Amino acid sequence: MHWTHPKTLLAGLAVVTLLGTASFALPSQAATLRMAWSQDATGLDPHKQTAFSSLRLLEMIYEPLVWLDKDLNVAPAIAKNWEFSPDGLTLTFKLDPAAKFSTGAQVTSDDVKASFNRILDEATAAAARSNFLSIKSIDTPDPETVVFNLSQPDAPILVAMASVNAAIVPAAEITAGSIGTKAIGSGPFKLDEWDPNSKDVLTANPSWAGGKPGVDGVTISVLPDETAILASLRAGQTDFALLNDPLVATLVPNEPSLQLNRVPGLAYNALQLNPSRKPMDNLMVRQAISCAVNRQEVIDTAQVGEGQVTGPLTMPAYASDPSTLFCYKQDVDKAKDLMKQAGMADGFSATVIAATGEPPYASAEAQVLQSQLAAIGIRLDIKLMELNVYVDAWLKGDFDMAVALNGGRPDPYPMYNRYFTKDGNLLKVSNFTDDELDSDLQQGRAETDVAKRKVIFQKFEAHLAEMSPWIWLSTSYSYTAQQKTVKGFEPSATGDMHSIGKVTVGS
Amino acid sequence: MNYVTQRLLTFPLILLGVSVLVFFSIRLIPGDAITAMLGTEAGLLTPAQRASLANYFGIDQPVWTQYARWLGGLFHGDLGISVTYGKPVLGVILERFPLTLELALLSVIIALAVGIPAGVYAATHNERASDLGVRLFAMLGQSTPSFVFGLLIIYVMSVYFGVIPALGTFTPIWVDPLANLSQLIFPAITLGFAFAASVTRISRSAMLDVLSDDYVRTARSKGVKARRVIWHHALPNALIPVVTLSGVEFGYLLGGAVIVEQIYALPGIGRLVLDAITQRDYALVEGAVLFIAFNFLIVNLLVDLCYVALDPRIRLGGR
Amino acid sequence: MRILVALIRHPSGRIGALIIALYLVVAVLGAFGITPHNALKQFPIDRLKPPSGTYWFGTDLLGRDTASRLMLGIGQSFVIAFASVALATLAGTIIGLLAAWWSGVWDGVLMRLMDVFLAFPAILLALLIIAIVGPGTFTSVAAIAIVYTPIFARVVRGPALSLKQRDFVDAARTFGSSQWFVLTRHLLLNLVAPLTVQITLALAWALLTEAGLSFLGLGTQPPAPSLGVMLADSKNLMQHAPWLMLFPGLTIMLGILGFNLTGDALRDILDPRTQRRSA
Repeated sequence: MHWTHPKTLLAGLAVVTLLGTASFALPSQAATLRMAWSQDATGLDPHKQTAFSSLRLLEMIYEPLVWLDKDLNVAPAIAKNWEFSPDGLTLTFKLDPAAKFSTGAQVTSDDVKASFNRILDEATAAAARSNFLSIKSIDTPDPETVVFNLSQPDAPILVAMASVNAAIVPAAEITAGSIGTKAIGSGPFKLDEWDPNSKDVLTANPSWAGGKPGVDGVTISVLPDETAILASLRAGQTDFALLNDPLVATLVPNEPSLQLNRVPGLAYNALQLNPSRKPMDNLMVRQAISCAVNRQEVIDTAQVGEGQVTGPLTMPAYASDPSTLFCYKQDVDKAKDLMKQAGMADGFSATVIAATGEPPYASAEAQVLQSQLAAIGIRLDIKLMELNVYVDAWLKGDFDMAVALNGGRPDPYPMYNRYFTKDGNLLKVSNFTDDELDSDLQQGRAETDVAKRKVIFQKFEAHLAEMSPWIWLSTSYSYTAQQKTVKGFEPSATGDMHSIGKVTVGS
Repeated sequence: MNYVTQRLLTFPLILLGVSVLVFFSIRLIPGDAITAMLGTEAGLLTPAQRASLANYFGIDQPVWTQYARWLGGLFHGDLGISVTYGKPVLGVILERFPLTLELALLSVIIALAVGIPAGVYAATHNERASDLGVRLFAMLGQSTPSFVFGLLIIYVMSVYFGVIPALGTFTPIWVDPLANLSQLIFPAITLGFAFAASVTRISRSAMLDVLSDDYVRTARSKGVKARRVIWHHALPNALIPVVTLSGVEFGYLLGGAVIVEQIYALPGIGRLVLDAITQRDYALVEGAVLFIAFNFLIVNLLVDLCYVALDPRIRLGGR
Repeated sequence: MRILVALIRHPSGRIGALIIALYLVVAVLGAFGITPHNALKQFPIDRLKPPSGTYWFGTDLLGRDTASRLMLGIGQSFVIAFASVALATLAGTIIGLLAAWWSGVWDGVLMRLMDVFLAFPAILLALLIIAIVGPGTFTSVAAIAIVYTPIFARVVRGPALSLKQRDFVDAARTFGSSQWFVLTRHLLLNLVAPLTVQITLALAWALLTEAGLSFLGLGTQPPAPSLGVMLADSKNLMQHAPWLMLFPGLTIMLGILGFNLTGDALRDILDPRTQRRSA
């Protein structure tokens, strides 16, 4: 009756506080890794799914023939060794006899053949198919040997196989048509439960070739807001998290119990120009833009310093020193001069599209670029759009300029053949190619000697930077945050999660 | 009652209108399920691959055929299959509904538990400092954007108290009531805070009206104690607008609290629809919107009936 | 006008009107560029600085002065709020009047159409509209207006309907007044009260919704600031630079407070029952 009586109010407050702390009292289960990320997988089919968030989940369940180690060299996974024939037309793999699916069945060459045939089958709609077009046929002389017969020498194909998009799935499941519904792989964990956009529950795969995984299971919570993920880590509710936003990641080292892992990624931030639209069809205008931009300032401002200036190539094995590339040091005078030569002394107006939150600093990046280009008379109108809407416009090449975060590869050929060769799949997006770029890429593809490849690709990179169809800005980091009691995780430049099997949760 | 049957008959019409609106508007958004799944990699698809995916997602048919097929399914209670979940849409929605229902109930209960006493207190101490204090507090509640309030709660809790509500999980109340309530209490407070402010103002204003009514003055002049007058005579009448407002708010909250669910990572209906729109899971968006609209209409009908029942002085339709 | 005078006399209405007037002045100043610094100019060296003598409310991620951006932001948010509510009032009044006037089947059709929009979850409706057309000031205005129109239609239809049923029309005719004049005058008198209250509620709701939509990434396009955009941008910077959330947050709260106080005061002034009470 006396609702406003102080005692009653206090009692109410006490109840609320009690309820609020009830959830905290749960200790972490023996050897379960509690993970969190902000975006969930969009599907379970390793051949179909390309979104990074999907790959991160599937990398814990499936394995391909090979992985990349932390130096981006090809390392064994299901295959224990491999060899190109001298003419480069045959690639032979010897499989690890200990490799088993979570059902206990051994991974055989039939599974490998069936998996790759599935990828090549257009009905599967595997985006990775374009990497494997040189496969003419696959032979399986014995259960532990697979021979790929190629129609032409294709050095990058090995690197292309080091992805969960080329995962080996059971031939029996392919026939049963259950690949997207059941997740039966040979990786360290198997999927028990998948509540899309909410929760994923994994348990250790008892048949894993790598031995017993460091933890008995993994529970992944999908927390859309990354500041909530940080709060969860801070409160000890989460052991391990993937983070995208540099603003949140830079706060992790401030917490005494947490550790931040940052690895420079292969993906690159770029301002894509559309050379099919005036006045960007004029080389001097594009070069002026390249000269007007202060790349380091974009990193320092929009990405709070979390990134490194890069040229078109981002992999350490092939990348040139950016300072050797065309106009990588800001030179506003040269930019103005180029604009004048192009007859554009008064500048022009253009629209730049960017995807909200993809990457998290896209909006800030666009605004910094807008401010920098204003100095040479280019008036940019920023259009932020939902990712899917952005993708739709991007695929159609329906933009003047676009702020993009494009995926990188460890090998330059698959990274850029789609954009800059004469028959590239995404020419509609790049609207740019020339003879030199095309021949350099094709040469690099066929060449197997690493030193010679480096020369070819660096020539390609220098020419690409000079032609400036895009303005390459920076690479950013891939972040993982963990409690200091979590050990064994090896962050990789591709961001992949396959070392999750070795992770342990201390006490 | 003729009024009820009339309202019930218009239900299917309104739902049909909602179905048309949602069906065609989501298809107007650029991008489809293919670009949602593959992003920029969708550019690598060959025409045959693209056709295969379009068939899988059910988007290769002409729009009207898709609508006719979906509508036909509706009459059998079949809302289609969600491409994100790979399960029937209705099942997915019903799985998420208990959380949204409970959160809505809790929010309204909290708002009423705080707002009604506060409003009564303010009304009985009209124009004194305490009245203004309560009203100011109410104003604050109504003017704080929910995401600011929610984020501040999480931040303050984690930094100063070292604990936060368990994010991203939901334990149904029949499995573990304590865990369930601990997960929902802060989201409910966040939502209830704003509504509590409305309740305070409405109860205060209604209370003031009633207290100045003739029959109350008559009761007072006859010597009935003040407290008795307030609780036994004034409050029940003052509660009528509060009840109707609560009903409307409850119906609104049943549609999911998108922003609060995002922040606290609650797997409720609001987030379900938001994610479905992002992933262009057409069947799920359509089914969920219809479900939400249906609940809203039912709750509104009940509220209107209560309104009429509680206060026969109100003429129907002549508000 | 009489109402304005009564508002100033009213204890809390005075405060509400003051706040709104203050904001209007600030918004106009901002629109004409009379701000401490250029609101759009980036000073990268001074990014994320706390409040100081040079930057009264600190600077943001790109080194822009928060105080200046707030002034512009108030203008932007107010424009969106006023425009959308004006649109909704206009459309809703027309629809409500038409429904009441025609009655019968057409009344049913119009109001059922309004019910369709009412039953459609509000945030999702706004979301869909913005997703289809693309974000921007105009789209935000349109989306909020579309969501609120049915409510105004309902608010208007009631008094309009009851008016039709009155007998005074014939009585007025006897005295020589034209039917139209009488109808209009009575209609307006009866509508002013519920409409003004609803308008102030809608304005507050519009401000909050603009903030919510910006949180979801669907608000005003950069680099133009709005209160919602500034709040949304401050979210992940909460620990780095709390002033970025504090000042826009306080500004929104104060603005909504102003609308609510004014709304309450107007309700008090225009409601005959309350006038009786204070007598």
